[in-house]
Amino acid sequence: MLSFLWLMLIKSAPLVYAALGGVLCERSGVLNIGLEGMIAIGAFSGVSISYATGNAVIGAIGGVASGALLGAILGLAATRFRVEQIVAGTGINLIALGGAAYGLVIVFGQPGASKEVNALGPAGEIAMVCLALALAGLLHVFLYWTRAGLHVRACGENPRAADVAGIDPLRVRFWATTAGGALAALGGVFLAMAELDLYSDGMSAGRGFIALAAVIFGRWNPLGAAAAALFFGAFEALQFTLQRTGIPSEFMQALPFVAALVALAGFAGRARAPASDGIPYTRAR
Amino acid sequence: MKLPRGVRDAAIALGIIIVFGSLAMLLAGVNPLDGFSALLIGALGNVQETAETLVQTTSLLFPALGIALAFRAGLFNIGAEGQLLMGGLLAGVLGEQLTAPGFVTIPILLLAGAVGGGLWGALAGWLRARFAANEVIATLMLNYVAIQVAAYAISGPLKSAGGAGYETGELPAQSWLPTILPDTRLTVALILALALAFFLRWMLRSTVVGYQLRAVGDAPQAARRAGIDLAKMRFWTMAASGAIAGLGGATVVLGVLHRFNLALSPGYGFIGIAVALVGELDPLWVTVAAFVFGILQNGAIGMQAAANVPRDVVTAIEGLIILVLAGRRIITRNGSD
Amino acid sequence: MPALAMRGIVKRFGDLVAIGGVDLELDPGVIVGLIGENGAGKSTLSNIAFGAFAPDEGTVERNGIVGLVHQHFQLVERLSVWENVLLGREPRKGWRLDVAAARARVRELGERYGLHVDPDAIVETLPIGMKQRVELLRELEREPAILLLDEPTAVLAPSEIESFFTTVVALAERGIAIMVVTHKLAEVIAYTSRVCVMRAGTIVARYETNQTTAGELARAMVGGEIPPLSERSPLPRQVLPILHVRELRARTGSDAIDGIEFALQAGEILGIAGVEGNGQTALADALAGVTAYDGTIRFREEELPDSLGPRGRMERGMQIIPQDRHHEALVLDWSLAENAILGRQGSAEMRRGQQIDREAARTFAQTIVERFDVRPPRVDLRVRGLSGGNQQKVVVGRALAGTPKFVLAYQPTRGIDVGATALVQSRLIEARNAGTAILLISFELDEIFALADRVLVLYRGKIAGEFNRDAFDRGRIGALMAGHT
Repeated sequence: MLSFLWLMLIKSAPLVYAALGGVLCERSGVLNIGLEGMIAIGAFSGVSISYATGNAVIGAIGGVASGALLGAILGLAATRFRVEQIVAGTGINLIALGGAAYGLVIVFGQPGASKEVNALGPAGEIAMVCLALALAGLLHVFLYWTRAGLHVRACGENPRAADVAGIDPLRVRFWATTAGGALAALGGVFLAMAELDLYSDGMSAGRGFIALAAVIFGRWNPLGAAAAALFFGAFEALQFTLQRTGIPSEFMQALPFVAALVALAGFAGRARAPASDGIPYTRAR
Repeated sequence: MKLPRGVRDAAIALGIIIVFGSLAMLLAGVNPLDGFSALLIGALGNVQETAETLVQTTSLLFPALGIALAFRAGLFNIGAEGQLLMGGLLAGVLGEQLTAPGFVTIPILLLAGAVGGGLWGALAGWLRARFAANEVIATLMLNYVAIQVAAYAISGPLKSAGGAGYETGELPAQSWLPTILPDTRLTVALILALALAFFLRWMLRSTVVGYQLRAVGDAPQAARRAGIDLAKMRFWTMAASGAIAGLGGATVVLGVLHRFNLALSPGYGFIGIAVALVGELDPLWVTVAAFVFGILQNGAIGMQAAANVPRDVVTAIEGLIILVLAGRRIITRNGSD
Repeated sequence: MPALAMRGIVKRFGDLVAIGGVDLELDPGVIVGLIGENGAGKSTLSNIAFGAFAPDEGTVERNGIVGLVHQHFQLVERLSVWENVLLGREPRKGWRLDVAAARARVRELGERYGLHVDPDAIVETLPIGMKQRVELLRELEREPAILLLDEPTAVLAPSEIESFFTTVVALAERGIAIMVVTHKLAEVIAYTSRVCVMRAGTIVARYETNQTTAGELARAMVGGEIPPLSERSPLPRQVLPILHVRELRARTGSDAIDGIEFALQAGEILGIAGVEGNGQTALADALAGVTAYDGTIRFREEELPDSLGPRGRMERGMQIIPQDRHHEALVLDWSLAENAILGRQGSAEMRRGQQIDREAARTFAQTIVERFDVRPPRVDLRVRGLSGGNQQKVVVGRALAGTPKFVLAYQPTRGIDVGATALVQSRLIEARNAGTAILLISFELDEIFALADRVLVLYRGKIAGEFNRDAFDRGRIGALMAGHT
């Protein structure tokens, strides 16, 4: 039982990071479909920089920075250029996944997977699991107990009202999305460097999208989203536990996605997104 | 000079390809001139390659048309990849079993492809209509479920005698789509795709159904109050969108691979989004865009072989095009639900 | 020494000159009225005075902070009262929000200005009048020297208006310079010291309030006489009503009706008077078939099944003029012709087999353009380029085409200029004369008085009173609108 719990935590950690990133973005009013790409870029950059420097921690920081960069790009697109955010997020995913695949050849000289690198090791794995849960609490405190968090929430609900009150919704959204990208990339760092020690093509495997479902299921609330992420992660952990039964592996692999679908169907009608989620803000001047 | 939007967007796409392509080539230690010429020669250098480029065009055009249709109705169909797969699966599995002559089996198998993709799209449409589930996430999830369903089906219960791993056995020759250029993989699928594009354009511009579909996408609340059934329209549009993508999957199975293979799509369902956007969601321009992206897809192989530029850079560039051209508001969120 | 001085203000939005050279001063303790019809530029000028817009030419000198209470509230619905009032200026205890201090501040403000609100209430749960209080408190919190009020009484019942202006006068006595932007002349006459009249982006007249009349102001606003409405033919005597509603209960968002009954006969205009938010939207949506309801609706001898949607209702001869032309009636990026047939696109007249009959659509649109004087008179132009008044003419013209049996007109002249208003109202009367039964829901009592044969007052989802045209009593109706019996 205890080992299952630990397995669940490990499988959920990337989802928790990505879901927290999603919550922060959406609370400020930016729909982030690009979480998948941010996970991938965090994983790839972390591994590549660790390979280049020989230092796993520097690699991890690099991974986070790459996620922040991608988040900043989305933030810019959403605020300055007021694009259709769902489409932009899809573009970000392709950029990251294609870029990482291309990067594998450039950095490691081989397609498909990187070489093994210095990773965070078992101690790092435990630390990152704890960090994920701690961040859920911290984000909750930030959003609901601090001034800046209140401003973020205001921008997500009614950016015009925030503007009138002297808050700059475009700036808030930009920084929230950048930070969200960094958080999601942490999930990728965990995936590639805490659980394993390499990057392989497609290793993000749809986690960024499950994280989106976790955001909705968790009602755009950090603690709720983290709990939802743990719930979906449990399904992935279940795959390993049920491996030796006769259940076909494909069924198990589909489980987290089906669970997300069912959760979405059962829950979506009642959940209310931040009112301005996905709607670009124009300052009438 | 203010350019018409389509021309401007096409120019932007071209600019991105040139600038970022060059950067990526330089990073790979390749002279951009060598890289781009390898790309173009790889795509259009001779009759064989041009035919293969058109094959890629066709495979992109089907999902792109389906996506454009859905986008016009305000629906984000990000699941074309899964719908394509399901269409291909049905066509491949059924195709192995049918022994009738080609003029009987081919229409049936194409229909099976449409049905497979259509059901997959309808599933997402049903979730949206019945449960108000966000179709973006629903279609995304269904992509992954489709992979598992297909994998399970062909390695398990629907395993065929000739199949191995994640593919079916080869289809009987009479069920192969006839080629229109000898010694190439270019088949009548291209004609079918073009015909479909013309049909969709006519449908959207001139018919009552097309009028209603556009209303649902452009002003859902006004459409609703004018008596248009939003839920029904959205459901059937998702089904049709999926069916078109599924048809595309079937043409890959029947015309290109002559079997179903789990890896039959290098991401046509996602690249199709870029194609649909560059084509401004107009079926005829989408066709032109599909050709350009077909050049990229086919040329990338040549570029990797001849000039040592990793072909995945093309995927990243396609993503960048999607990002930059995401300007058009797909849905009008004015209390749309 | 004026509190606010604007000189030579010019503001353009693309090709449109919204403000074409305006000078305006506000003095401490003086209440100035800024009047003008829809589209004259009043809101734009207030936004420039507030600082939300920058003028293209001219200067704005401010001696102190400017507060602006918007026509459409700028509140964050899902946050609490104190979070809204103190947004951007929240008190802190270290890194945390000091909620106790915030609550205390809201209560203190409430005491000082006589505007009491529960600091912890979530704004979206409050009635409209209270929401306005929150908006006002937010502005007052910043201790403004200048206070701008944009159409402040649009959502108030006639009796609430009096207590609102009592507050405003008290604020003026504290030395705040106040400008009230409104189109309600009676309030201007009653409560302001000075009046400025705006028309087409400039101030065309200034008066000392005690030296002018509502009639003179109206003429200055319009730049001439207001065109008279069509004549009403006598109401036919009938036995059976064309529409009979019983025990109707419905809800749209926070708007609800709770068991109402009324009947409407052919050739009659029945007005529904009431302050916004008392059930009008629920009533309209129930009749239109876009929301579920309990109770019965009998139309032309038939009890309508409540699952019958808008299409079925249109087929039976019901037409709707929705409240919000931009979101509920028009597809802004389509042409006038395409918009004209919205709702009729599937009918035999407008189609040829599977295709839309483009010629028939254009001909139909042309008749609307002619009858309703839509400008520019070109059916292929995108509707987005038309002014609000012309857009509304298309919506109304479409609904009245073919003399339908029943028309629900929900705020048919909202936000349009006086000329278009007169034309729309005249066409409604003509439809009535030709036998169409019209249910008119309006937040403007003047409009109801101009058009209706009978009036029902809606308060908190129930009918509070009924009046015939020959017995319209403004005072009594106003009281019922506020819930006084």
